[in-house]
Amino acid sequence: MHGIHAAGVSKRFGTVEALSPVDLSIAPGEIVTLLGPSGCGKTTLLRMIAGLEPVGSGTITVDGAAPEAARGHKRFGLVPQSPALLPWRTVEANARLLQDINVSANPSPLPDVVELLDRVGLAEFHDAYPHELSGGMQQRVGLVRAFALGAPYLLMDEPFAALDEITRADMRHLLATLCEPTNTGVLFVTHSLAEAVFLSDRVAVLSARPGRIVGTVDVDLPHPRVPEIEDDPAFFAIETELRRLLHDGAGR
Amino acid sequence: MIDRLRNSAAFWAIVGTVALLGFWEAFVRIRDVRKFVLLPPSEIGSTFLDNPSFYLENIWVTARHLVIGLAIALVVSLALGALLAAFRPLEHASQPLLVLILVTPWVAYISSIVLWLGRGTPSILFLVSFVTVPAFVYATVGGMRSADPAARELFASIQASRWEVLWRLRLPSALPSLFTAARFNVGLGLAAAYFAEGAALSSDGLGEAGRRAVAFNEGSILWTTILCTAVLGILGQVAVLLLERWLLRWHASQRRSAR
Repeated sequence: MHGIHAAGVSKRFGTVEALSPVDLSIAPGEIVTLLGPSGCGKTTLLRMIAGLEPVGSGTITVDGAAPEAARGHKRFGLVPQSPALLPWRTVEANARLLQDINVSANPSPLPDVVELLDRVGLAEFHDAYPHELSGGMQQRVGLVRAFALGAPYLLMDEPFAALDEITRADMRHLLATLCEPTNTGVLFVTHSLAEAVFLSDRVAVLSARPGRIVGTVDVDLPHPRVPEIEDDPAFFAIETELRRLLHDGAGR
Repeated sequence: MIDRLRNSAAFWAIVGTVALLGFWEAFVRIRDVRKFVLLPPSEIGSTFLDNPSFYLENIWVTARHLVIGLAIALVVSLALGALLAAFRPLEHASQPLLVLILVTPWVAYISSIVLWLGRGTPSILFLVSFVTVPAFVYATVGGMRSADPAARELFASIQASRWEVLWRLRLPSALPSLFTAARFNVGLGLAAAYFAEGAALSSDGLGEAGRRAVAFNEGSILWTTILCTAVLGILGQVAVLLLERWLLRWHASQRRSAR
Protein backbone atom coordinates (compact mmCIF):
# COMPACT_ATOMS: atom_id res chain seq x y z
CA MET A 1 0.00 0.00 0.00
CA HIS A 2 1.96 3.00 -1.26
CA GLY A 3 1.50 6.50 0.04
CA ILE A 4 0.50 7.99 3.35
CA HIS A 5 -2.95 7.03 4.60
CA ALA A 6 -4.64 8.53 7.64
CA ALA A 7 -8.00 6.96 8.51
CA GLY A 8 -10.26 8.33 11.24
CA VAL A 9 -7.36 10.03 12.98
CA SER A 10 -8.21 12.26 15.93
CA LYS A 11 -6.35 13.72 18.89
CA ARG A 12 -7.17 15.05 22.35
CA PHE A 13 -4.86 16.97 24.65
CA GLY A 14 -6.32 16.43 28.11
CA THR A 15 -9.91 17.64 27.87
CA VAL A 16 -9.28 19.66 24.70
CA GLU A 17 -10.28 18.03 21.43
CA ALA A 18 -7.56 19.18 19.04
CA LEU A 19 -8.58 17.19 15.97
CA SER A 20 -11.87 15.51 15.04
CA PRO A 21 -11.60 12.24 13.07
CA VAL A 22 -9.87 13.04 9.78
CA ASP A 23 -9.26 10.98 6.62
CA LEU A 24 -6.37 12.00 4.40
CA SER A 25 -4.22 10.30 1.76
CA ILE A 26 -1.06 11.39 0.02
CA ALA A 27 0.01 9.39 -3.03
CA PRO A 28 3.70 9.13 -3.96
CA GLY A 29 4.70 12.26 -5.85
CA GLU A 30 1.56 14.13 -4.83
CA ILE A 31 1.66 17.52 -3.13
CA VAL A 32 -1.14 17.90 -0.58
CA THR A 33 -1.68 21.01 1.50
CA LEU A 34 -3.44 21.26 4.84
CA LEU A 35 -4.96 24.72 4.99
CA GLY A 36 -6.56 26.06 8.12
CA PRO A 37 -6.61 28.77 10.78
CA SER A 38 -4.15 28.81 13.69
CA GLY A 39 -4.80 26.17 16.32
CA CYS A 40 -6.94 23.97 14.06
CA GLY A 41 -4.75 20.91 14.62
CA LYS A 42 -3.02 20.87 11.23
CA THR A 43 0.44 20.81 12.82
CA THR A 44 -0.75 18.09 15.20
CA LEU A 45 -1.83 15.97 12.23
CA LEU A 46 1.56 16.49 10.55
CA ARG A 47 3.37 15.54 13.75
CA MET A 48 1.30 12.36 14.10
CA ILE A 49 2.10 11.40 10.51
CA ALA A 50 5.80 12.09 11.21
CA GLY A 51 5.66 9.75 14.21
CA LEU A 52 6.56 12.61 16.58
CA GLU A 53 3.19 12.56 18.36
CA PRO A 54 1.29 9.40 19.37
CA VAL A 55 -1.85 8.88 17.27
CA GLY A 56 -4.95 9.55 19.41
CA SER A 57 -7.35 7.24 17.63
CA GLY A 58 -7.57 5.88 14.09
CA THR A 59 -4.63 4.61 12.06
CA ILE A 60 -1.82 6.12 10.03
CA THR A 61 0.29 4.10 7.62
CA VAL A 62 3.28 5.22 5.57
CA ASP A 63 3.88 2.84 2.65
CA GLY A 64 2.11 0.25 4.79
CA ALA A 65 4.22 0.80 7.92
CA ALA A 66 3.59 2.64 11.17
CA PRO A 67 4.89 6.27 11.37
CA GLU A 68 7.46 5.36 14.06
CA ALA A 69 8.93 2.65 11.83
CA ALA A 70 8.96 5.01 8.82
CA ARG A 71 10.84 7.56 10.95
CA GLY A 72 13.55 4.98 11.71
CA HIS A 73 13.93 4.29 8.00
CA LYS A 74 14.34 8.01 7.23
CA ARG A 75 11.19 8.19 5.13
CA PHE A 76 10.46 11.82 6.09
CA GLY A 77 12.29 15.02 5.31
CA LEU A 78 10.98 17.43 7.93
CA VAL A 79 10.98 21.18 7.37
CA PRO A 80 10.07 22.80 10.68
CA GLN A 81 8.55 26.23 11.15
CA SER A 82 11.82 27.79 12.32
CA PRO A 83 14.88 26.90 10.22
CA ALA A 84 16.43 25.17 13.28
CA LEU A 85 19.94 25.45 11.85
CA LEU A 86 22.75 24.47 14.18
CA PRO A 87 24.77 27.67 14.74
CA TRP A 88 28.10 25.83 15.03
CA ARG A 89 27.74 24.21 11.61
CA THR A 90 28.41 25.97 8.33
CA VAL A 91 25.70 26.20 5.69
CA GLU A 92 26.98 23.12 3.89
CA ALA A 93 27.37 21.14 7.13
CA ASN A 94 23.85 22.13 8.16
CA ALA A 95 22.49 21.03 4.79
CA ARG A 96 24.25 17.69 5.36
CA LEU A 97 23.00 17.28 8.95
CA LEU A 98 20.23 14.77 8.26
CA GLN A 99 22.59 12.72 6.07
CA ASP A 100 25.11 12.58 8.94
CA ILE A 101 22.66 11.11 11.45
CA ASN A 102 21.31 7.55 11.54
CA VAL A 103 23.64 6.88 8.63
CA SER A 104 22.71 3.22 8.17
CA ALA A 105 19.21 4.22 7.01
CA ASN A 106 20.51 6.51 4.24
CA PRO A 107 19.33 5.71 0.71
CA SER A 108 21.92 5.36 -2.02
CA PRO A 109 22.80 7.36 -3.90
CA LEU A 110 22.25 10.40 -1.69
CA PRO A 111 21.29 13.69 -3.35
CA ASP A 112 24.19 16.04 -3.98
CA VAL A 113 24.13 18.72 -1.26
CA VAL A 114 26.48 21.05 -3.12
CA GLU A 115 24.31 20.96 -6.23
CA LEU A 116 21.15 21.56 -4.19
CA LEU A 117 22.71 24.58 -2.46
CA ASP A 118 23.69 25.99 -5.83
CA ARG A 119 20.15 25.49 -7.12
CA VAL A 120 18.63 27.51 -4.27
CA GLY A 121 21.10 30.34 -4.87
CA LEU A 122 23.47 29.69 -1.97
CA ALA A 123 26.51 28.84 -4.10
CA GLU A 124 28.60 31.56 -2.46
CA PHE A 125 27.55 30.73 1.09
CA HIS A 126 28.68 27.13 1.58
CA ASP A 127 31.17 28.10 4.28
CA ALA A 128 29.07 30.81 5.92
CA TYR A 129 27.56 30.37 9.38
CA PRO A 130 23.78 30.61 9.89
CA HIS A 131 23.99 33.98 11.69
CA GLU A 132 25.47 35.51 8.56
CA LEU A 133 22.34 34.68 6.52
CA SER A 134 18.98 36.43 6.16
CA GLY A 135 15.82 34.67 7.34
CA GLY A 136 14.90 33.64 3.81
CA MET A 137 18.37 32.22 3.15
CA GLN A 138 18.26 30.29 6.42
CA GLN A 139 14.97 28.68 5.46
CA ARG A 140 16.43 27.79 2.05
CA VAL A 141 19.15 25.85 3.88
CA GLY A 142 16.32 24.19 5.83
CA LEU A 143 14.70 23.15 2.53
CA VAL A 144 17.96 21.80 1.13
CA ARG A 145 18.55 19.86 4.36
CA ALA A 146 15.20 18.09 3.90
CA PHE A 147 15.67 17.45 0.16
CA ALA A 148 19.23 16.20 0.78
CA LEU A 149 17.77 13.25 2.66
CA GLY A 150 16.37 11.82 -0.57
CA ALA A 151 13.29 10.76 1.42
CA PRO A 152 10.08 9.73 -0.37
CA TYR A 153 8.04 12.18 1.72
CA LEU A 154 8.55 15.77 2.75
CA LEU A 155 6.63 17.14 5.71
CA MET A 156 6.59 20.93 5.83
CA ASP A 157 5.12 22.73 8.81
CA GLU A 158 4.44 26.36 7.81
CA PRO A 159 8.07 26.74 6.72
CA PHE A 160 7.61 30.30 5.43
CA ALA A 161 5.39 31.62 8.23
CA ALA A 162 8.10 33.83 9.73
CA LEU A 163 9.15 35.45 6.42
CA ASP A 164 8.01 38.73 4.88
CA GLU A 165 5.50 38.66 2.02
CA ILE A 166 8.02 39.26 -0.79
CA THR A 167 10.41 36.57 0.46
CA ARG A 168 7.48 34.20 0.96
CA ALA A 169 6.52 34.52 -2.69
CA ASP A 170 10.12 33.84 -3.78
CA MET A 171 10.26 30.83 -1.47
CA ARG A 172 7.09 29.20 -2.80
CA HIS A 173 8.31 29.67 -6.37
CA LEU A 174 11.65 28.12 -5.39
CA LEU A 175 9.97 25.23 -3.59
CA ALA A 176 7.82 24.50 -6.64
CA THR A 177 10.90 24.16 -8.84
CA LEU A 178 12.61 21.94 -6.27
CA CYS A 179 9.56 19.65 -6.11
CA GLU A 180 9.01 19.53 -9.86
CA PRO A 181 11.34 16.85 -11.24
CA THR A 182 11.14 14.53 -8.23
CA ASN A 183 8.74 11.79 -7.30
CA THR A 184 8.46 13.07 -3.75
CA GLY A 185 5.18 13.17 -1.87
CA VAL A 186 4.72 16.41 0.05
CA LEU A 187 2.49 17.30 2.97
CA PHE A 188 2.50 21.08 3.26
CA VAL A 189 0.89 22.87 6.19
CA THR A 190 0.02 26.53 5.81
CA HIS A 191 -2.52 29.26 6.48
CA SER A 192 -1.62 31.08 3.26
CA LEU A 193 -4.09 30.74 0.38
CA ALA A 194 -1.50 31.69 -2.26
CA GLU A 195 0.95 29.04 -1.03
CA ALA A 196 -1.78 26.41 -0.95
CA VAL A 197 -2.93 27.05 -4.53
CA PHE A 198 0.48 27.59 -6.06
CA LEU A 199 2.17 24.51 -4.64
CA SER A 200 -0.52 21.86 -4.35
CA ASP A 201 -2.13 19.15 -6.37
CA ARG A 202 -4.84 18.98 -3.71
CA VAL A 203 -5.81 21.19 -0.78
CA ALA A 204 -7.62 19.92 2.33
CA VAL A 205 -9.28 22.74 4.26
CA LEU A 206 -9.58 22.35 8.02
CA SER A 207 -12.11 24.05 10.28
CA ALA A 208 -11.28 25.86 13.50
CA ARG A 209 -10.68 23.71 16.59
CA PRO A 210 -11.50 20.92 16.83
CA GLY A 211 -10.16 20.59 13.30
CA ARG A 212 -12.08 18.56 10.75
CA ILE A 213 -11.81 18.57 6.97
CA VAL A 214 -14.56 20.83 5.63
CA GLY A 215 -13.64 20.27 2.01
CA THR A 216 -11.00 19.11 -0.42
CA VAL A 217 -10.14 21.04 -3.59
CA ASP A 218 -8.17 19.66 -6.54
CA VAL A 219 -5.83 22.23 -8.07
CA ASP A 220 -5.94 21.60 -11.83
CA LEU A 221 -3.30 24.14 -12.80
CA PRO A 222 -0.65 23.10 -15.33
CA HIS A 223 2.82 21.93 -14.30
CA PRO A 224 5.49 23.20 -14.01
CA ARG A 225 4.05 25.93 -11.85
CA VAL A 226 5.50 29.29 -12.90
CA PRO A 227 5.07 32.59 -11.01
CA GLU A 228 2.86 34.02 -13.82
CA ILE A 229 0.19 31.49 -12.92
CA GLU A 230 -0.67 33.61 -9.89
CA ASP A 231 -2.27 36.18 -12.23
CA ASP A 232 -4.44 33.56 -13.94
CA PRO A 233 -8.24 33.73 -13.39
CA ALA A 234 -8.22 29.98 -12.65
CA PHE A 235 -5.80 30.67 -9.77
CA PHE A 236 -8.17 33.29 -8.35
CA ALA A 237 -11.15 30.97 -8.73
CA ILE A 238 -9.48 28.28 -6.63
CA GLU A 239 -8.35 30.85 -4.06
CA THR A 240 -11.94 32.10 -3.80
CA GLU A 241 -13.27 28.61 -3.31
CA LEU A 242 -10.71 27.92 -0.56
CA ARG A 243 -11.58 31.20 1.14
CA ARG A 244 -15.26 30.24 1.12
CA LEU A 245 -14.44 26.84 2.68
CA LEU A 246 -12.27 28.49 5.35
CA HIS A 247 -15.13 30.88 6.10
CA ASP A 248 -17.64 28.03 6.37
CA GLY A 249 -15.27 26.18 8.67
CA ALA A 250 -14.83 29.16 10.95
CA GLY A 251 -18.52 30.04 11.16
CA ARG A 252 -20.01 26.70 12.16
CA MET B 1 46.87 56.36 14.83
CA ILE B 2 45.96 58.07 18.11
CA ASP B 3 42.29 57.37 17.47
CA ARG B 4 43.08 53.72 16.98
CA LEU B 5 44.98 53.63 20.26
CA ARG B 6 42.09 55.31 22.00
CA ASN B 7 39.73 52.55 20.86
CA SER B 8 42.08 49.65 21.54
CA ALA B 9 41.16 47.46 24.50
CA ALA B 10 44.76 46.23 24.85
CA PHE B 11 46.07 49.79 25.08
CA TRP B 12 43.76 50.65 27.97
CA ALA B 13 44.53 47.37 29.73
CA ILE B 14 48.24 48.28 29.64
CA VAL B 15 47.48 51.80 30.90
CA GLY B 16 45.49 50.27 33.77
CA THR B 17 48.28 47.83 34.65
CA VAL B 18 50.96 50.53 34.70
CA ALA B 19 48.75 52.79 36.84
CA LEU B 20 48.07 49.96 39.30
CA LEU B 21 51.77 49.08 39.64
CA GLY B 22 52.69 52.75 40.08
CA PHE B 23 50.07 53.29 42.76
CA TRP B 24 51.07 50.07 44.54
CA GLU B 25 54.80 50.98 44.53
CA ALA B 26 54.13 54.54 45.72
CA PHE B 27 51.67 53.45 48.42
CA VAL B 28 54.06 50.89 49.95
CA ARG B 29 57.04 53.30 49.87
CA ILE B 30 55.23 56.39 51.16
CA ARG B 31 53.35 54.57 53.94
CA ASP B 32 56.46 52.46 54.69
CA VAL B 33 54.38 49.23 54.82
CA ARG B 34 56.10 46.21 56.41
CA LYS B 35 57.42 43.55 53.99
CA PHE B 36 55.18 40.84 55.31
CA VAL B 37 52.03 42.91 54.91
CA LEU B 38 52.70 44.04 51.35
CA LEU B 39 55.77 44.08 49.13
CA PRO B 40 56.23 46.72 46.40
CA PRO B 41 56.30 45.37 42.83
CA SER B 42 59.95 46.37 42.28
CA GLU B 43 61.07 44.16 45.18
CA ILE B 44 58.84 41.31 44.00
CA GLY B 45 60.66 41.59 40.68
CA SER B 46 64.12 41.48 42.25
CA THR B 47 63.15 38.60 44.59
CA PHE B 48 61.95 36.65 41.57
CA LEU B 49 65.20 37.34 39.69
CA ASP B 50 67.25 36.14 42.67
CA ASN B 51 66.05 32.60 42.05
CA PRO B 52 63.80 32.41 38.97
CA SER B 53 64.04 28.62 38.54
CA PHE B 54 62.56 28.11 42.04
CA TYR B 55 59.44 30.10 41.13
CA LEU B 56 59.13 28.76 37.59
CA GLU B 57 59.35 25.17 38.80
CA ASN B 58 56.67 25.78 41.41
CA ILE B 59 54.45 27.53 38.87
CA TRP B 60 54.82 24.51 36.62
CA VAL B 61 53.88 22.10 39.46
CA THR B 62 50.81 24.09 40.44
CA ALA B 63 49.79 24.57 36.80
CA ARG B 64 49.88 20.80 36.36
CA HIS B 65 47.75 20.26 39.47
CA LEU B 66 45.26 22.81 38.19
CA VAL B 67 45.01 21.53 34.61
CA ILE B 68 44.80 17.83 35.51
CA GLY B 69 42.34 18.53 38.32
CA LEU B 70 40.09 20.59 36.02
CA ALA B 71 40.30 17.96 33.27
CA ILE B 72 39.17 15.23 35.67
CA ALA B 73 36.35 17.46 36.91
CA LEU B 74 35.26 18.20 33.34
CA VAL B 75 35.12 14.54 32.30
CA VAL B 76 33.19 13.57 35.45
CA SER B 77 30.83 16.54 35.05
CA LEU B 78 30.07 15.85 31.38
CA ALA B 79 29.13 12.24 32.14
CA LEU B 80 27.16 13.21 35.24
CA GLY B 81 25.57 16.23 33.55
CA ALA B 82 24.42 14.23 30.52
CA LEU B 83 22.83 11.72 32.88
CA LEU B 84 21.11 14.41 34.96
CA ALA B 85 19.90 16.24 31.85
CA ALA B 86 18.27 13.04 30.64
CA PHE B 87 16.54 12.12 33.93
CA ARG B 88 14.93 14.97 35.83
CA PRO B 89 14.35 13.07 39.13
CA LEU B 90 18.06 12.30 39.23
CA GLU B 91 18.80 16.00 38.77
CA HIS B 92 16.62 16.92 41.76
CA ALA B 93 18.14 14.12 43.82
CA SER B 94 21.68 15.32 43.13
CA GLN B 95 21.04 18.93 44.20
CA PRO B 96 21.79 18.47 47.93
CA LEU B 97 25.16 16.89 47.16
CA LEU B 98 26.18 19.59 44.65
CA VAL B 99 25.15 22.42 46.94
CA LEU B 100 26.95 20.76 49.85
CA ILE B 101 30.18 20.61 47.83
CA LEU B 102 29.79 24.26 46.87
CA VAL B 103 29.20 25.66 50.37
CA THR B 104 31.39 23.47 52.59
CA PRO B 105 34.77 25.14 53.28
CA TRP B 106 37.74 23.00 52.19
CA VAL B 107 39.74 24.05 55.25
CA ALA B 108 37.32 21.98 57.28
CA TYR B 109 37.83 18.66 55.56
CA ILE B 110 41.25 18.80 53.88
CA SER B 111 42.91 16.81 56.70
CA SER B 112 40.32 14.05 56.22
CA ILE B 113 41.19 13.91 52.51
CA VAL B 114 44.91 13.72 53.27
CA LEU B 115 44.25 10.97 55.80
CA TRP B 116 42.22 9.09 53.18
CA LEU B 117 44.29 9.60 49.99
CA GLY B 118 47.72 10.23 51.48
CA ARG B 119 49.96 13.28 51.22
CA GLY B 120 50.82 15.05 47.99
CA THR B 121 49.38 14.83 44.50
CA PRO B 122 46.35 12.50 44.96
CA SER B 123 44.86 14.69 47.69
CA ILE B 124 45.58 17.89 45.75
CA LEU B 125 44.01 16.61 42.51
CA PHE B 126 41.02 15.30 44.43
CA LEU B 127 40.34 18.66 46.06
CA VAL B 128 40.72 20.63 42.80
CA SER B 129 38.35 18.28 40.95
CA PHE B 130 35.91 17.96 43.82
CA VAL B 131 35.28 21.69 44.26
CA THR B 132 35.05 22.44 40.54
CA VAL B 133 32.56 19.68 39.69
CA PRO B 134 29.34 21.51 40.75
CA ALA B 135 29.81 24.52 38.43
CA PHE B 136 30.65 22.22 35.51
CA VAL B 137 27.63 20.00 36.23
CA TYR B 138 25.25 22.97 36.40
CA ALA B 139 26.66 24.30 33.14
CA THR B 140 26.33 20.92 31.42
CA VAL B 141 22.74 20.33 32.54
CA GLY B 142 21.59 23.88 31.79
CA GLY B 143 23.38 24.02 28.45
CA MET B 144 22.12 20.64 27.27
CA ARG B 145 18.56 21.59 28.20
CA SER B 146 18.88 24.80 26.19
CA ALA B 147 19.23 22.88 22.89
CA ASP B 148 16.80 24.27 20.29
CA PRO B 149 13.49 22.31 20.58
CA ALA B 150 12.95 22.53 16.80
CA ALA B 151 16.38 20.97 16.25
CA ARG B 152 15.54 18.20 18.73
CA GLU B 153 12.36 17.52 16.73
CA LEU B 154 14.44 17.39 13.56
CA PHE B 155 16.77 14.82 15.13
CA ALA B 156 13.75 12.80 16.28
CA SER B 157 12.21 12.87 12.78
CA ILE B 158 14.95 10.55 11.53
CA GLN B 159 15.31 8.53 14.74
CA ALA B 160 18.69 9.87 15.84
CA SER B 161 20.20 7.70 18.56
CA ARG B 162 20.64 9.03 22.09
CA TRP B 163 24.37 9.19 21.43
CA GLU B 164 23.90 11.25 18.25
CA VAL B 165 21.59 13.69 20.02
CA LEU B 166 24.13 14.01 22.84
CA TRP B 167 27.19 14.39 20.66
CA ARG B 168 25.84 16.43 17.77
CA LEU B 169 23.21 18.57 19.50
CA ARG B 170 23.30 18.65 23.30
CA LEU B 171 27.04 18.89 23.87
CA PRO B 172 27.65 21.76 21.39
CA SER B 173 24.62 23.53 22.89
CA ALA B 174 26.29 23.28 26.32
CA LEU B 175 29.63 24.73 25.17
CA PRO B 176 28.84 28.43 25.86
CA SER B 177 27.77 27.78 29.46
CA LEU B 178 30.67 25.35 29.95
CA PHE B 179 33.11 28.10 29.05
CA THR B 180 31.48 30.48 31.52
CA ALA B 181 31.87 27.79 34.18
CA ALA B 182 35.48 27.18 33.12
CA ARG B 183 36.40 30.83 33.69
CA PHE B 184 34.90 30.64 37.17
CA ASN B 185 36.54 27.28 37.86
CA VAL B 186 40.05 28.39 36.86
CA GLY B 187 39.98 30.81 39.79
CA LEU B 188 38.33 28.36 42.17
CA GLY B 189 40.58 25.47 41.14
CA LEU B 190 43.73 27.58 41.52
CA ALA B 191 42.74 28.59 45.05
CA ALA B 192 42.01 24.95 45.87
CA ALA B 193 45.35 23.81 44.38
CA TYR B 194 47.31 26.47 46.30
CA PHE B 195 45.55 25.65 49.55
CA ALA B 196 45.83 21.88 49.11
CA GLU B 197 49.55 22.05 48.28
CA GLY B 198 50.17 23.88 51.54
CA ALA B 199 47.92 21.62 53.57
CA ALA B 200 48.66 18.22 52.00
CA LEU B 201 52.34 18.17 52.99
CA SER B 202 53.30 18.28 49.34
CA SER B 203 57.01 18.76 48.63
CA ASP B 204 56.57 21.46 45.97
CA GLY B 205 54.05 23.76 44.33
CA LEU B 206 53.28 27.44 44.93
CA GLY B 207 51.04 26.64 47.91
CA GLU B 208 53.86 24.75 49.64
CA ALA B 209 56.37 27.52 48.80
CA GLY B 210 53.97 30.04 50.32
CA ARG B 211 53.40 27.94 53.44
CA ARG B 212 57.15 27.62 54.03
CA ALA B 213 57.70 31.37 53.48
CA VAL B 214 55.11 32.06 56.19
CA ALA B 215 56.68 29.49 58.51
CA PHE B 216 60.16 31.04 58.09
CA ASN B 217 58.86 34.62 58.18
CA GLU B 218 60.05 35.34 54.61
CA GLY B 219 57.81 38.24 53.55
CA SER B 220 59.45 38.83 50.19
CA ILE B 221 59.30 35.16 49.15
CA LEU B 222 55.67 34.98 50.28
CA TRP B 223 54.65 37.98 48.16
CA THR B 224 56.61 36.80 45.15
CA THR B 225 54.85 33.44 45.43
CA ILE B 226 51.49 35.18 45.69
CA LEU B 227 52.14 37.23 42.56
CA CYS B 228 53.35 34.12 40.70
CA THR B 229 50.05 32.46 41.64
CA ALA B 230 48.13 35.46 40.35
CA VAL B 231 50.07 35.41 37.07
CA LEU B 232 49.28 31.69 36.72
CA GLY B 233 45.59 32.52 37.24
CA ILE B 234 45.73 35.18 34.53
CA LEU B 235 47.43 32.75 32.14
CA GLY B 236 44.66 30.25 32.89
CA GLN B 237 41.98 32.81 32.09
CA VAL B 238 43.72 33.78 28.86
CA ALA B 239 44.00 30.12 27.83
CA VAL B 240 40.25 29.62 28.42
CA LEU B 241 39.49 32.82 26.52
CA LEU B 242 41.57 31.80 23.48
CA LEU B 243 40.03 28.33 23.44
CA GLU B 244 36.58 29.89 23.69
CA ARG B 245 37.27 32.26 20.84
CA TRP B 246 38.30 29.36 18.65
CA LEU B 247 35.64 26.82 19.62
CA LEU B 248 32.76 29.30 19.90
CA ARG B 249 33.53 31.39 16.82
CA TRP B 250 29.92 30.72 15.74
CA HIS B 251 28.41 32.02 18.98
CA ALA B 252 26.80 35.44 19.46
CA SER B 253 29.16 36.27 22.35
CA GLN B 254 32.19 36.04 20.05
CA ARG B 255 30.94 38.29 17.28
CA ARG B 256 32.41 41.74 16.89
CA SER B 257 29.81 44.26 17.90
CA ALA B 258 31.58 47.18 16.19
CA ARG B 259 30.59 46.50 12.61
